[in-house]
Amino acid sequence: MIKAILVFNNSAKPRLIKFFEHYPEEIQQQIVRETYQLVSKRSENVCNFLEGGSIIGGNDYRLIYRHYATLYFIFCVDSSESELGILDLIQVFVETLDKCFENVCELDLIFHIDKVHYILQEICLGGMVLETNLNEIVSRFDEQSKLEKQEAGISAAPTKAMTALKEMNLPQKLKDMKLSDLNLNLRF
Amino acid sequence: MPTMRGDAMRGLAVFISDIRNCKSREAELRRINKELTNIRQRFRADKTLDGYQKKKYVCKLLFIFLLGHDIDFGYMEAVNLLSSNKYTEKQIGYLFISVIMNSSTEMKQLIIQNIRNDLQSRNPIFINLALQCVANIGDREMAVAFTNDIPRLLISGDTIDAVKQSAALCLLRLHRTSPDSLQLNTEWTARIIHLLNDQHLGVATAAVSLIDALVKRNPDEYKGCVNLAVSRLSRIVTSSYTDFQDYTYYFVPAPWLCVKLLRLLQNYPPPDDPSIRSRLNECLDTILNKAQEPLKSKKVQHSNARNAVLFEAINLIIHMDCESSLLVRACNQLGQFLQNRETNLRYLALESMCLLAASEFSHEAVKKHQDTVINALKSERDVSVRQRAVDLLYAMCDRSNAQDLVQEMLTYLETADYTIREEMVLKIAILSEKYAVDYKWYLDVMLKLIRIAGDFVSEEVWYRVIQVVVNRTDVQSYAAKIAFEALQAPACHENMVKVAGYILGEYGNLIALDPRSTPIIQFDLLHSKYHLCSPTTRCLILSTYMKFVNLFPEIKHHIQDILRHDSNHRSSDVEIQQRATEYLKLSEVCNPTVLATILEIMPPYPEKQSPLLVRLKQKKPLTEPEGVTESQSPPPPTTGHNGDGPKLTETALHLNQQHQQQQNGLLLSLDTPESNGYYEESTSKPSSSTLQSAKKFLFKNSDILFENDLIQIGIKGETIKSTIHIELYYGNKTTLQLTNFSTNIFALGELESELRINMEPVKSTIDPRAQSKQTGTIDCLADFRDLPMMNISFLYNNMLQKIDCPFPIYINKFIEKAEMDSNNFFLRWRNLEKPSQECQKIFPAKFPMIHEDCRQKLDDFGWSCLMGIDVNAENFCGAGIIHTTSQAIGCLYRLEPNKQANMYRLTIRASKDGVANRLVELLDDQF
Repeated sequence: MIKAILVFNNSAKPRLIKFFEHYPEEIQQQIVRETYQLVSKRSENVCNFLEGGSIIGGNDYRLIYRHYATLYFIFCVDSSESELGILDLIQVFVETLDKCFENVCELDLIFHIDKVHYILQEICLGGMVLETNLNEIVSRFDEQSKLEKQEAGISAAPTKAMTALKEMNLPQKLKDMKLSDLNLNLRF
Repeated sequence: MPTMRGDAMRGLAVFISDIRNCKSREAELRRINKELTNIRQRFRADKTLDGYQKKKYVCKLLFIFLLGHDIDFGYMEAVNLLSSNKYTEKQIGYLFISVIMNSSTEMKQLIIQNIRNDLQSRNPIFINLALQCVANIGDREMAVAFTNDIPRLLISGDTIDAVKQSAALCLLRLHRTSPDSLQLNTEWTARIIHLLNDQHLGVATAAVSLIDALVKRNPDEYKGCVNLAVSRLSRIVTSSYTDFQDYTYYFVPAPWLCVKLLRLLQNYPPPDDPSIRSRLNECLDTILNKAQEPLKSKKVQHSNARNAVLFEAINLIIHMDCESSLLVRACNQLGQFLQNRETNLRYLALESMCLLAASEFSHEAVKKHQDTVINALKSERDVSVRQRAVDLLYAMCDRSNAQDLVQEMLTYLETADYTIREEMVLKIAILSEKYAVDYKWYLDVMLKLIRIAGDFVSEEVWYRVIQVVVNRTDVQSYAAKIAFEALQAPACHENMVKVAGYILGEYGNLIALDPRSTPIIQFDLLHSKYHLCSPTTRCLILSTYMKFVNLFPEIKHHIQDILRHDSNHRSSDVEIQQRATEYLKLSEVCNPTVLATILEIMPPYPEKQSPLLVRLKQKKPLTEPEGVTESQSPPPPTTGHNGDGPKLTETALHLNQQHQQQQNGLLLSLDTPESNGYYEESTSKPSSSTLQSAKKFLFKNSDILFENDLIQIGIKGETIKSTIHIELYYGNKTTLQLTNFSTNIFALGELESELRINMEPVKSTIDPRAQSKQTGTIDCLADFRDLPMMNISFLYNNMLQKIDCPFPIYINKFIEKAEMDSNNFFLRWRNLEKPSQECQKIFPAKFPMIHEDCRQKLDDFGWSCLMGIDVNAENFCGAGIIHTTSQAIGCLYRLEPNKQANMYRLTIRASKDGVANRLVELLDDQF
């Protein structure tokens, strides 16, 4: 089973943390740090599997990771999962993100953390692989967004208008973008 | 969906931008704290928050949590969102709960109720949200609560596919976390198995995962799945990739489902039915054939998916281990992968080959790749891959190639990564012993091993060298010779000194005739290392000196001088001091015959499982090479020494060794057969002393709860009203890892209804000399008398250890101090005048009657100690409130010392019947 899914960027800032087993907050952060230590010093073109760190399970666990531009996607799994299968699953996850966000970049993960969680929930449930079919995942996600919009349409119209007004401060928003937030450069 | 960026929450975006613009960690922290305060206030003050705002705040909390800050509020708001009818609100509520909430919260029942409502909803999206939440939290309570609902969703005809899929995995999750509380009706078995045939591939994939777990629990009940799995598999592999449309991943039809099916089949032996079996073989054949076809796409995803299936097929072939043609083909395929450009494939190929090497059909075929593997060890850039190469060399080693392989591994060891050195040392040691034709070769290898990787030679390794030497008379003189030579090196690792010291002490006489190694030369050489060594090693060397006294009477005086020397005779290290003193005395008082008997050479060690294999297994629970799996059972009891030696003096020496055994563990426990099994299955019963120390906790909030040679358990408690927060610390005092560590704190009998115990699970291993922490809470539901019990069990050195002791939670832990003036006190005192509310006892003083000590004790007990209330200043009065979840019990006391009679009179009144008696019972032997 998948024990944890971590996404962090090249400078160790976590962008998504999802544990399927309960760990206290400080241990979770410790695991993120330790995993970053393990993964970040590996060069490109080495293999995508390595043995887990000391906190999260030791030898029975593997870290399976991929590095896309600024982000590391790491799945921590036990021996009951196929390594290559999980590697492909990461690919599916990223492709789905790419489809849902249209050219996904790190900023999307930061500002839409909830959505990222929803997408993940369609792929992986309680640490098990739920769905692997890209189109199916996207359509389920679309369905939810549609519902969301319907509801927003009825009740949130006034707030939305307000937001629209405030959104006029766009230049600031553009300034917020940082160079490191470039596209993930999916290599298909 | 381009609109997605637009409809985000503005407040959230601003907050995130703020944080990202923070220049320093402190600034970030300030901004976060400001936001937390803001949200807290909003939640508290503004009852009319609308869904949008709640959602926004919950999102902010999620973000803060992600940055590594604990969120301790907002739970109630999140739970309220669950019962909303709006999808968006429900969704965010579930998200919050499954990301942030831990498994032991008080709102569990509320959450469960909400989930149940959603599970029964007609809206599949709501059902899915609920299922996701159950799967994410997935604890025992959930398993019990939904033991019927979820299976029903799974097998019902009118559930839509997406829900079925989630239900299957949700069930799997609950099955994993608490298999015994999940009861599956056997009538459902057939219907669950038939999900393998479901038209929707997603449902089938989820179902295979579930069935795989159920099969492991009850293989016979689910035997029917083999046929269905084989036919499903065959339909997929023989089809063209165009048949599956959506479930084709980069030209490979349904790779995940294939992989899962192949895994499922690895739970059973090859099918008996010849037609099914041949169908399965056909499938495997097809998969192997496809691997030879040219790639349909240059993209790495295509080859990944194809190879994922291929590797799983190979694993199944290895598991069935009966078709030699398939095995050889598999091996050749892996051989190709060993040369592949993709690092991932090389890694996996090495790993699978380890398994192949264990099969008699393919062992020879694997050996053909020996050169490639050795080459991988030398040239591979990735340590993970090199590690696999070492594993494979270990697995493919046999008598014919052992010398070469060990040599290669030794060469590599000099440059190997530090992380894998210790394991390599173990493997080299095991192989060279197992396949040694000539034990001289074995000794050469071992000494070389210590020379090049001394730091990584664990105790077990050098213990084993000595065991081998002691048990083989033919190599003893050779051993003495090379040990002596090894000692001559200018820089000599301490482990080498230990080995050489021990061997010379036993067999130094065998080389004493050589003029290059006369007794005095041996002694001087050894002694030149003495001062560079740690105390443990010095102890060992002192024993060697003592053996020298017997072997070489001519240097006795030299040795006596050393023993008499202040640095030994008056050493600050107790063990050294004791040995020096005892050995000196022994050498002075005993005549040579007695001495010779006492210091006789060690008898052979009983043959049992090599401690090295035990050690390796601890390090790597998964890789077990052939032929070592047999002895999981505890080692057989060993026979004692031959009864010739005079017992009394023998035990004198053993006493020393037992000392050291506690420090060193393994080898020396072999020296002392009486103590073998000393730790085996030892249950530490609560002695009166532990009970007494439990009572110490009456007056303290932290204490050592239990301690023996292996473990120390500390406790810390902090009470808030009727809840005590407990922190338990388990310290491993040994040099080995404690595994399978589990604890259970429980209330028996009526106590069960009086206390609610809620402990977090504890980590299952504790590293050597490390501490593990467990937290939890205990709620007091009603006043109580008995103590909960605590069971701890773990494996130390593969032996089961159990500790049972009372858990020192007394009723006084829930007392809160109450301050009041004299009028108030006596008013209340008079109000509690019913006989059942009062308890009085006169008892003798156990400790000196010091006023200040008494006051301190009463204060520590939890209630107040009020001054100037009683006319007699020697007397103590005070009050407290016992908090239970249902009521608050007021209690008042008066303690009157009588110094002439050395007695106390204690009177307690409490607002609830019987409580006064309990408090008196606790205190009547504490003053």
